[in-house]
Amino acid sequence: MKMEDMPLSGPDNTKLEALVHDIYSELVEDACLGLCFEVHRAVKQGYFFLDETDQESMKEFEIVDQPGVDIFGQVYNQWKNKECECPNCKRLIAASRFAPHLEKCLGMGRNSSRIANRRLASNNNMSKSESDQEDNDDLNDNDWSYGAEKKARKRKSDKNQNSPRRSKSIKHKNGELGSSVSSEPYKYNYNTGISYETLGPDEVRSLLTTQCGVISEHTKKMCTRPSLPDADTVVESDSFDIPDGQTLMSRLQWEDSPDISPADSASSKASTNHSDSRRPKKKKRPSLGLNSGGGGSLTGGGGSSSSSSQSNISLSTKKKRPKLSAPSISSIYDDLN
Amino acid sequence: MSKESRMRATINQKLTEMGERERLKELLRAKLTECGWKDQMKAHCKEVIKEKGFEHVTVEDLVVEITPKGRALVPDSVKKELLHRIRAFLAQHAT
Repeated sequence: MKMEDMPLSGPDNTKLEALVHDIYSELVEDACLGLCFEVHRAVKQGYFFLDETDQESMKEFEIVDQPGVDIFGQVYNQWKNKECECPNCKRLIAASRFAPHLEKCLGMGRNSSRIANRRLASNNNMSKSESDQEDNDDLNDNDWSYGAEKKARKRKSDKNQNSPRRSKSIKHKNGELGSSVSSEPYKYNYNTGISYETLGPDEVRSLLTTQCGVISEHTKKMCTRPSLPDADTVVESDSFDIPDGQTLMSRLQWEDSPDISPADSASSKASTNHSDSRRPKKKKRPSLGLNSGGGGSLTGGGGSSSSSSQSNISLSTKKKRPKLSAPSISSIYDDLN
Repeated sequence: MSKESRMRATINQKLTEMGERERLKELLRAKLTECGWKDQMKAHCKEVIKEKGFEHVTVEDLVVEITPKGRALVPDSVKKELLHRIRAFLAQHAT
């Protein structure tokens, strides 16, 4: 038997076509039968009609197919263009912005208090500096830079005044020194922040007999550690050479550091001024306080000769206890003047 | 005639043996479901069942009602594709 491929000859072709169609019909009938069996089983098992409820619900939840509306019949941008009246400020606000607006308007949101505080702070600053600026502008246009500087400096001073550090230091100092001494150093601090030249010799002497008086190069402030009454160490301090003394001093001070008790070291790290203020009370190791004071002055303003004299004194203090001699210091400063 | 019938028998045998028949069946089912023919037919079944009372409906009832409508409702695209595939198979294997 010979089978033919797909020739275009008449009768065979039709036969083939007929065959093809027959096969197709068979396949379709098969599909229909499969469906019938499926449905019949569903009916007999009772799950064929499960997606149907009563007529009312069927109509209610019918699929909607209108333009501008979703299949549930809802309009999705219904509230887009609506405006609401704010009960507080009586303004018309867009619906999508209504909630945030209310938050700010009533002052009840998380951000609104933050913004209000910020505004208050900036208003205070602005009111202070605005008056300065106005004065400067009236005087001279060239002072514009000066005005800005003044503004900046003023702002900075404001910042420093309000910072917790400053208040802490004030408390610290007051607690340790006592009121009388503390009020004085602050007065002098601000004045002598510039130089000793502004003060008269008598003032300087009186100042330096009561306090240390070393000006730190970093902060331009005077060391307000109260000077100690013992003047016996003048003899010993003279025995040391000044240039060698300095290097020796630094070496010795570094060696000394392990001797310092933890409490002392912590205080000396904090601030030389304030750690020194503690020294007079403690009788155990005032030398350490002097060392730290000397060290502070060394690190702060190594350039001045006062530091070397200080270091000499602190070296000698290892042997004797209270070492700072007021007359020696005042003599040094007299030389400077 | 016998040639033809033999030819038919051979081809059918080949279709089945080579798994082409099954493949064609699956293809057809998928296509019919895709185009919505199945849902249409199911809706028609519901009507028939409601008509006949669903307690006593038999497979035969359904078959009699459904098959002619089913044949008619097959979309042309599906039909053409199937025919094409059958012809291709025959061209390949009818030697």
